[in-house]
Amino acid sequence: MKLERKESNFSSSYLVSFDGEYMSIIKANNVKYRVKIKNENNEVVGHKTILDNINIDIKKGDFVAILGRNGSGKSTFAKHLNALLVPNEGSVLINGQDTSMVEELWEIRKQCGMVFQNPDNQIVGVTVEEDIAFGPENLGMSSEKIIKTVSHAIEKVGMSAFKKKSPNHLSGGQKQRVAIASSLAIKPECIVLDEPTAMLDPKGRKDVINLVRQLNKNDGMTIILITHHMEEAAIADTVIVLDQGKVAISGKPREVFSKIDEMKALKLELPQMMELSYRLHQKGKISRYDLLDIEEFVEQYMKDSRPAIDIYDKIGVHDAGRFGDIMVQSELNRIDEKNNNGKNNNGKTLLELIDVSYVYQPETAMKNIAVDHVNVSIRENEMIGVIGPTGSGKSTLIQLMNGLLRPSEGKIYFKGKDISGKGFQKKQLHFSVGLVFQYPESQLFEETVLSDVMYGPLNKGYEKEKAEAIARECLKSLGIGDEYFRKSPFDLSGGEKRRVAIAGVIAMEPEIIVLDEPTAGLDPLTREHLFYSLKMLKEEKNKTIVIVSHSMEDMAKYVERVIVMNGGKVMFDDTTRQVFQNSDALEKIGLAIPTVSYAMKRLKAEGYTDCDEAITIDEAVDVLSYE
Amino acid sequence: MLRDITLGQYYQTESKIHQLDPRVKLLSALVYIIMLFVCDDFSCYAICAIALWIVIRLSKVPIKFITKGLKTIVILLMISLLLNIFFTPGKVLFEFNFVRITEEGLIKAAKIGIRFILIIIASSLLTLTTTPTNLTDGLEKSLGFLNYIKIPVHEIAMMMSIALRFIPILMEETDKIIKAQTARGADFETGGMIKKAKSLIPIMIPLFVSALKRANNLAIAMEARCYHGGKDRTKMYPLKYNSRDFTAYFILFIFVVVLFVERFYVLKIFG
Repeated sequence: MKLERKESNFSSSYLVSFDGEYMSIIKANNVKYRVKIKNENNEVVGHKTILDNINIDIKKGDFVAILGRNGSGKSTFAKHLNALLVPNEGSVLINGQDTSMVEELWEIRKQCGMVFQNPDNQIVGVTVEEDIAFGPENLGMSSEKIIKTVSHAIEKVGMSAFKKKSPNHLSGGQKQRVAIASSLAIKPECIVLDEPTAMLDPKGRKDVINLVRQLNKNDGMTIILITHHMEEAAIADTVIVLDQGKVAISGKPREVFSKIDEMKALKLELPQMMELSYRLHQKGKISRYDLLDIEEFVEQYMKDSRPAIDIYDKIGVHDAGRFGDIMVQSELNRIDEKNNNGKNNNGKTLLELIDVSYVYQPETAMKNIAVDHVNVSIRENEMIGVIGPTGSGKSTLIQLMNGLLRPSEGKIYFKGKDISGKGFQKKQLHFSVGLVFQYPESQLFEETVLSDVMYGPLNKGYEKEKAEAIARECLKSLGIGDEYFRKSPFDLSGGEKRRVAIAGVIAMEPEIIVLDEPTAGLDPLTREHLFYSLKMLKEEKNKTIVIVSHSMEDMAKYVERVIVMNGGKVMFDDTTRQVFQNSDALEKIGLAIPTVSYAMKRLKAEGYTDCDEAITIDEAVDVLSYE
Repeated sequence: MLRDITLGQYYQTESKIHQLDPRVKLLSALVYIIMLFVCDDFSCYAICAIALWIVIRLSKVPIKFITKGLKTIVILLMISLLLNIFFTPGKVLFEFNFVRITEEGLIKAAKIGIRFILIIIASSLLTLTTTPTNLTDGLEKSLGFLNYIKIPVHEIAMMMSIALRFIPILMEETDKIIKAQTARGADFETGGMIKKAKSLIPIMIPLFVSALKRANNLAIAMEARCYHGGKDRTKMYPLKYNSRDFTAYFILFIFVVVLFVERFYVLKIFG
């Protein structure tokens, strides 16, 4: 990268004098951006302001995270940095060049690489190498130079082994790294990443974020990272929060996140450690509430309180460990009872998979055992999470559950009836076990929201009136009100579409609802709403919910039981708390435990608590306040 | 079900044929097909078949792989053969009710059959030995002259290569949408024609919507990476002729000469 720096300095050198001193690489001055709102006849009926007076100044080598809810203008702003959009008012200066003034747009674009959310939609090349070469080819570099640039970029992202491979055979995280290499290949001054990790599993996410961090630290690359993950934003130098097209807060992560009331008003989460320290601070257990990572938190906590062991020594209890165990155990029992946690053993078994296997393309060289002798039983009124790395067989498992796939081996029973045999009506099972695929909004097709949700019930053979009544009820239970019913589903926002699509499955009145990554790409508030609706379905309608997820924090917060898949086998199947005690085993397969659990483990190792079993912030606060 | 399509499949191996410039292979395939039409007698076909056999051996593509491509056209081939056998007027060899087989019919059918098979093998050999990217590059380069009559060759080639990249993605997507709608109780199997056609709507609309969305996103991603059409664009691996390719052109030339001699002189000498 050093070699490239020199060349790119050429364009900026004359601008240094222009500013006098240290150059800002990106400067947005009072940027306003509006879109026209058109009616059915294509007449302009009004304007919607997407960006409203944005002023941002980004210095070379900065790492900036942009946060904000869905629709806050983050992506629109990102597109301004690349002259994909130009402001209606105000100006965006990239390296001193006004994006609306330059004649050759690619002069701007080659200074600002972009990486988008969906890796599939940004890879042009048929092989990894060709894709990375696409940018340099567009810039008219010589063949030798392209080859050099490409191998340099591919090395940077650690994908050299995949040079000649087709991108279709890569995992999401690998594809995203290729996309980063592809933007590196145009030798930009900065890289804008628009929710690059939204579609990735924990390992892919970690790889991508580490890579971004490395590029910033080692190569001085300016990074602009748009994200919904507060933990990712916490590692940036600067955090900018956008809300309704305005800069709501900006500053160092610590400053921004410690404006807790403002953050809550903006409906954003806090990083877990910040939330935990804030809550403990309120209880007077810790003196600071602006702690960002585990290390900071543990250090501060240790400073502010004495080791648990000291207390026991003072009160003269010799068998301190045991005494502590009893205290803590009763504490967690209380939590478990409160949450109605635990194994829920008394429920009736609904779905039972016995020794089930599924093989893709059997008897060929491509043979692939996706699910390998799995035993799972799902009981009435449970809320179950399924986690596992990419390719561990999760999606195959859930497709077996609702009869889309017939097991190659083994038996599946639904309410005691064998459904893997030839005689059973698969269609019946589709109605009993509703399956919501990943990004379910891509299955919407009807003219109105209401009729789309009615599709399932009508297929079930219901009368139109009954189907409509059910559809209305389901939409309302997911927070979609009357005013949306006659709208086209394609006119809704992302989060609304998602809820309509889920309503479309729930409207078939299944007893078990299986959802594959239902919250992918949603902002924290929408995510919370969705989980709340699912919880209500469980509690009020007595449904069983199965959620496939990559978010350990969400799992810890919402589900009672977790099934961990790895290599087609069930690795763990236990209460959420028990599963998250196996941090080493989970890490080995590329998963993790909630951040708060790591902190609790550290505190236990240091002797500041006897209980490291808390998996949510609520629990951790309870445990730590009890000590 | 959608993964069985073998159109334009590439067989990965190292061979002299694989190493040839795609333009050589494109031109050779074209000349070969033209020659099959120009020289329509059995001795010429024999020469063509032998030439093709040599090329197949050189390419190291297993025969099994090539014949697999023929399976898909068997029905088409049978129909055209039968039509020719039964409906060509001439010297009657066999007659039963309205079925009449003529000598000319048999000869014509045999010729068409051979020609058909040779064309299919030759063109599948082209795609089996040339990567899709090379093929589009070759087309772009060799059709470059069309630029002068305002045909956007580069854009067409770019569309082709993007299509190649997105075919597997869209197939996966189709698979997913079919599954998602099946999970909502859709039924694609029972009912008459109209009901079946109607049941496709829940698949086609989402598929189109997603394809358009992908296209839009891809266009943005391409622009972000400085794409501005074919002007001043370079290639990482530009096509370059080397001695191997000139040898191939020379062999092609000999092949054409041999066929012409065979067709127009040898026959006359022998009668």
